[in-house]
Amino acid sequence: MARRFLTVEDIRLAPGHEIVVDAGTVVTPQALEAAEAAGIAIRSPDGAWREPPPDRGPDAERRMASLPHMPEPEANPSLASTAIVTAVGRNRPGVMAEITAAIAEEQGNIHDVSQKVVEGFYHMILTVELRPEASFDQFKTRLECMGNPDDFAVRVMNERVFRFMHRV
Amino acid sequence: MTFSDREILETVRMIELETLDIRATTLGISLFDCADPDLESTCEKVYAKVIHHARTLVEVANSISEDYGIPIVNKRIAVTPVAWIAAASGAADLTPLARALDAAAAEVGVDFIGGFTAYVEKGFTSSDAALMDSIPTALAETERVCSSISLATTRAGINMDAVKRFAEVVKAAAELTADKGGLGCTKLVCFCNAVQDNPFVAGAHIGVGEPETVLNVGVSGPGVVRSALARLDPGADLLAVAETIKRTAFKITRMGELVGREAARRLGTTFGIVDISLAPTPAAGDSVSDILELIGVDRTGAPGTTAALALLTDAVKKGGAMASSSVGGLSGAFIPVSEDAGMIRAVQEGALSLAKLEAMTSVCSVGLDMVAVPGDTPVATIAGIIADEMAIGMINNKTTAVRIVPVPGHGPGDTVEWGGLLGTGIVQDPGRFSATVLTGRGGKIPAPLQGYKN
Repeated sequence: MARRFLTVEDIRLAPGHEIVVDAGTVVTPQALEAAEAAGIAIRSPDGAWREPPPDRGPDAERRMASLPHMPEPEANPSLASTAIVTAVGRNRPGVMAEITAAIAEEQGNIHDVSQKVVEGFYHMILTVELRPEASFDQFKTRLECMGNPDDFAVRVMNERVFRFMHRV
Repeated sequence: MTFSDREILETVRMIELETLDIRATTLGISLFDCADPDLESTCEKVYAKVIHHARTLVEVANSISEDYGIPIVNKRIAVTPVAWIAAASGAADLTPLARALDAAAAEVGVDFIGGFTAYVEKGFTSSDAALMDSIPTALAETERVCSSISLATTRAGINMDAVKRFAEVVKAAAELTADKGGLGCTKLVCFCNAVQDNPFVAGAHIGVGEPETVLNVGVSGPGVVRSALARLDPGADLLAVAETIKRTAFKITRMGELVGREAARRLGTTFGIVDISLAPTPAAGDSVSDILELIGVDRTGAPGTTAALALLTDAVKKGGAMASSSVGGLSGAFIPVSEDAGMIRAVQEGALSLAKLEAMTSVCSVGLDMVAVPGDTPVATIAGIIADEMAIGMINNKTTAVRIVPVPGHGPGDTVEWGGLLGTGIVQDPGRFSATVLTGRGGKIPAPLQGYKN
């Protein structure tokens, strides 16, 4: 196992002007300061020391890979970028056109639409498949910025949320 | 995969109107490799390791909130019990370790870090004793550090010497934070059958069998259960009530599973457990007490409350167990008095006494939580309250806990504001009779027959 830490005490006891540590060693912030003050260089075997990525333990990767199956798409990764768009508001001409136009501009492909108007208010639910390379964030921001409190409100959620919540 | 309008609107409603949230994503970090003969070096390593592993925790949690539209309220850290790490140093004052944890938590932007912890159900090591003695100062001098002590288990019995010592620590912690209503005690809890993967503070820490780092999730959602019950026909029988709670718990747990998996994946660490405890907040509607009243008691604390709570806790566990293979932690329903607007009202109206609360803890998921008593309550009385609670846990093979605040300068009926999620404490009267001889005897209450299961 690689050396875990380099501390101020290690710097103090260092014989020369250079300390070579393992690539995975964590140098404490205090040790970095002490080394700089004492003019000691900290190196790893392949050059200057840089903070290593966190070592999450020997079984982290395997444990993630062996999580039990959940209602996830198995062979259809495109489903991973499906968004559920809900819009609620006062009914007026052109609302649906505005929302679907925005989805089209983001090149979203509408799979399913459901709309109802009750007492002058409508609610609309759209299932939208995004392009594999599309940014979910960008799509969400674009749509959720539409409308205003007096007109209509849009909410975009990842399809995964619904799959986890409603499917066994 | 298509979803019906009803399913989609139900999810949106839970998040928008019923305060469904993920209460805590807690990153557990093993500190075993930080042990050092020199306490200062131990502190240095602890500080460096916590920051090294948790640097991106807040960012990752926020990005998941953003991507999935599920609020993640708290980001926290749990570490290996500090008494185990400090043992090699032989130090008598472990406050510096608390300060190191506090500084690291502040640096990475989490609100609490749990693990100023010792296990003393069978006896003290020198390091355990040092930790106990350091607790009052550590809690007074730090903002984010939480402390927990294991005093009893079904296997080991109750260490009554430790119970008395813990009661003294509670009093001292309250005195040192007297200007803040005994705030130190809100970050201090003792356990029977402590849970080693609990993501909720103040008892969060990670035990010996845990991996290097692990991501645990605590879901919440009393508001969602409450709304589901409110929509239920008032004439529906109790099987229908249990079924409604179970179905709702399933859905809430699945959100926890999704967030836990995703957070673990983004951090590159192991996904540990989902703790499916219904955890109330002082916000209106986010109350376990409201659920009990919807099930059918006039006020929480009235006759029937323990039965209603038993139904609730069990239905939550059943729904959760169906939803996830990784249910753990405390999982059930929390009844922290000061953190639940409905329970505060029940105490104010005289419906909920300390005695009834104790009865309720035999069927809830933890124990006497966030209970305020007068500042001049004798040590023997506090030790007696703790011993009773430990006994309930020991005999019933369940986790029980006590988080009690003797509020300095306050008497029965007084109110104390701790702010934020900690809420409002109403000082309750523990009565004028005590357990001086019992707690003074010391020694231990032996393990019950239930403990000999091999």
